[in-house]
Amino acid sequence: MELTPKFTLDLGLFKLDFDLTILIGTLLSAIIVLVFMLVATRKLEMVPRGLQTVAEMMVDFARGLSEMGHDQKRAHKFVGFTLTLLLFILVANQLGVILMVTSGPETHIPALGITHEAMEAANAHGVSWLKSPTADMSFTFTLSIAIAIGGTILAIAYNGFGGWLKGFASPMAALHILEAFINPVTHAMRLWANIFAGEILITILLQGMWWTSLPLAAWIGFSLFVGTMQAYIFTVLANVYIGQKISH
Amino acid sequence: MDLNILGACIMIGLAALGAAIGNSNLFAKFVEGVARQPEVRGTLFGLTMVLFGLIEALPIIGTALGILVLFGII
Repeated sequence: MELTPKFTLDLGLFKLDFDLTILIGTLLSAIIVLVFMLVATRKLEMVPRGLQTVAEMMVDFARGLSEMGHDQKRAHKFVGFTLTLLLFILVANQLGVILMVTSGPETHIPALGITHEAMEAANAHGVSWLKSPTADMSFTFTLSIAIAIGGTILAIAYNGFGGWLKGFASPMAALHILEAFINPVTHAMRLWANIFAGEILITILLQGMWWTSLPLAAWIGFSLFVGTMQAYIFTVLANVYIGQKISH
Repeated sequence: MDLNILGACIMIGLAALGAAIGNSNLFAKFVEGVARQPEVRGTLFGLTMVLFGLIEALPIIGTALGILVLFGII
């Protein structure tokens, strides 16, 4: 395990811990997606060429995904959300596999909480500067809870407050309420655990002998596949959960 | 020997066992479906991969929690 640079904001009542690694990773993936889409859609033409073809394929793909979760007449409103979520999580997942930055155990920056004592206490071998933000539980839980709250707000907006409450008035009410709390947890855990386990195994294999390079290459390939897969599944499930909340 | 190593091993092993049963069922049915109707292969493959991701999630959650137990974080 590696330490991560942190800085703490003291608000009197409570303290806020900011993890610098996750902030860097989140910003970097957002910038990559933004720059790619800006470059791809800069000079739009009737007959698409080059990157515009790729961007149009992505939009088509996102439309297909949002139709999996929503009614036919409502699906087109969620294409933007789906495309944003898909690209952002896809880039964030692959960031740690392709571009992992770690500094050695002699790093000493007391202002960010990186001291030799802290490293010994956490049994860490180095400091992680850039990894997948999705390999951190707080990041994925932020996404899934935001999706759950947003879905509830949309459900109230579409059905009215009475209609939303009426959705719970069924013999399965207890199950519905339980589902509303369990879904965000499994939604977040699924993404986090896949990326986290992948990165840990890469770190362990990197510290191994010369013959671990073969399993390392195989595992990096599998990690790329898993990252793409999980981005897809996370997006599909986000649409399905929001669609369920709206329609029932 | 530390007990957390044993705990992590049991956790990862049992999770892998469950996932193996689930995945074998899923892919056996996929092959069967393609054998019966070869023309739906593309549709079935996409669906199978999504379900594979759903099944694979639970053992990987077990593995990730097992790693946290192994390093003594929880």
